[in-house]
Amino acid sequence: MFEKILIANRGEIAVRIIRTCRELGIQTVAVYSEADRRALHARMADEAVAIGPSPAGQSYLDVERIIAAARRSGAQAIHPGYGFLSERADFAQAARDAGLTFIGPPPAAIEAMGDKGRARAAAQAAGVPVTPGYQGEDRDETLRAQAALIGFPLLVKAAAGGGGKGMRLVNHSADLDEAIQAARREAQHAFGDARLILERYIPRARHIEFQVLADQHGHTLHLFERECSIQRRHQKIIEETPSPYLTPALREQMGAAAVAAAQAVGYQNAGTIEFIVDPAEGRFYFLEMNTRLQVEHPITELVVGLDLVEWQIRVAAGEALPFRQAELCQRGHAIECRLYAEDPANSFLPASGPLLRFVEPTGPGIRVDSGFTTGDEITIHYDPLIAKLITHAASRPAALQKMAAALRDTALLGLTHNGPFLQAILADPDFRRGEVYTTWVEEKFGGWQPPNCALPPAVLAAAALTHSELTARSAPAAPAPGADAFSPWKAANGFRLGE
Amino acid sequence: MRYRFQSGAEIYEVALERAGEVFHATIAGQTYIVEVLDQQPGQIRLRMDGKPVTLHWAASNSQKWVAVDGCTYLLERPTAARAARPGGESGGETVRAPMPAQVRAVQVTEGDAVAKGQTLLLLEAMKMEIRIKAPADGKVAKLLVQPGQAVEKDQTLVLIGD
Repeated sequence: MFEKILIANRGEIAVRIIRTCRELGIQTVAVYSEADRRALHARMADEAVAIGPSPAGQSYLDVERIIAAARRSGAQAIHPGYGFLSERADFAQAARDAGLTFIGPPPAAIEAMGDKGRARAAAQAAGVPVTPGYQGEDRDETLRAQAALIGFPLLVKAAAGGGGKGMRLVNHSADLDEAIQAARREAQHAFGDARLILERYIPRARHIEFQVLADQHGHTLHLFERECSIQRRHQKIIEETPSPYLTPALREQMGAAAVAAAQAVGYQNAGTIEFIVDPAEGRFYFLEMNTRLQVEHPITELVVGLDLVEWQIRVAAGEALPFRQAELCQRGHAIECRLYAEDPANSFLPASGPLLRFVEPTGPGIRVDSGFTTGDEITIHYDPLIAKLITHAASRPAALQKMAAALRDTALLGLTHNGPFLQAILADPDFRRGEVYTTWVEEKFGGWQPPNCALPPAVLAAAALTHSELTARSAPAAPAPGADAFSPWKAANGFRLGE
Repeated sequence: MRYRFQSGAEIYEVALERAGEVFHATIAGQTYIVEVLDQQPGQIRLRMDGKPVTLHWAASNSQKWVAVDGCTYLLERPTAARAARPGGESGGETVRAPMPAQVRAVQVTEGDAVAKGQTLLLLEAMKMEIRIKAPADGKVAKLLVQPGQAVEKDQTLVLIGD
């Protein structure tokens, strides 16, 4: 087993990996950019190494600096988390070349699955169904001709892509050119690779993915599905398991297909096979494989009863999986809500700023994976994910009820967040029935505005009481830098207008 | 004691009066009996008309944030009249940055005629591309940013003239 692991990531996932390392008695090395000098993951790790300026391209995406940090710190392995360098075969190879273990799949498997075109071909070869589409040489003229053959609506996707970046839905041929240009630009910037593929768009499709786990001794298992149909701008915001849609028969078929696709590329470690499911026909199609830990992995952990980060580390260290497929089962129901610094009432524009106060919900069946605490700052440089709330209960209704309570008990002050929007989705009758698909949020909640325009009286009472010399006994956390010393807000009498 | 707060365009008034162990809070003509159950930095627990409620709060400059039931409310000092945005100079439209971001690409030059909805420039923030579109038909009267430049929220990007 490793004695020291470097975590090449930030935010909640770095914090989550540190937790498991601590349990296993493994020392941790965090890396941080200038903007993250005081970030939670850097504060929590046993060691923290500066790796460069705030833009990710000069820090969290800099292979050389991270490998150098790992070597200098004496780490034996690197955990890449998700995003950043986690799906870069050259990074996995560079780690190997430096004598470090990459906690993830072999570089060849990343390469095979990292390219959406090659991944589709590999899945097809393994007998896994894929959607009609085009992968290959991608000059604009070729894409235009292929698009005409596939038909509209279709998706233009970055071959190197993921998370909806470099992806465009095109409804009419007239919009194709602008979509291709925009997708290329985004793909070039996000992945350093502007190649595109095309796929037929399946309306009202569900997104259902399977967690796989493979060791170095030829065992490949699946840890069941995650239903991820609740998305905005092609990014998941609520995930749950089991899927309210799958029948035992379809679950078994899809699980077997996931294992076959993983085996086809010699996969090792934890990965996720994403499928789209056409509910009209009850058919599923391979979408892509994420060759890394997934943001929504906690719901699988709760339902299957395994710590995925622990098994990633054990498998990378050469341990064999001690359980077989037949020994795994889904216990109860788990759901995850992603708490983002963004404004759901204004096109989900990301928000940035200080977290003046962040209070996490607690209680039986509630788990919070967060990367920030009160006093931290959400910067414009990185993803606006603040925390993930996860609940687990015996049944779906019970898990949803617990989540609604967890969202109510969350307090996030200082910036706009999507908590009220998540609450609105949880209360929706379609969602409660599990009748959702990937464009459902957009269709049902497009133009959503927060419901209560009038301030609750308790808010006004609290604002007055925390202002009043009648009750003022303690001040909140230190004011933000640059706070106006003469602000009447600091004076005990506030805006008192007279008795 | 009376307190005034502004939230959005609304101004609210709270009259607070001690009545033995509790307070009487009068808001919009209705009086509530409020007991302060406990207080710690950033948190106050009340019993309001018999019902317990926990609120979290923080103050920054002239703003006070209060959260209850997972929703956050921003209260400010009331201002006599909210300063109108200095938009519409020379009868045109001012296009501003919706958030702090970096200018990724500029797709127009000064003097270009633009149609409502046409993409003027691309911003990027938090790995997301944001298209800034023309709010109305007109001409690009002034282009105030360049590719690669960092912009602040509400910074003027483009002036559209008639």
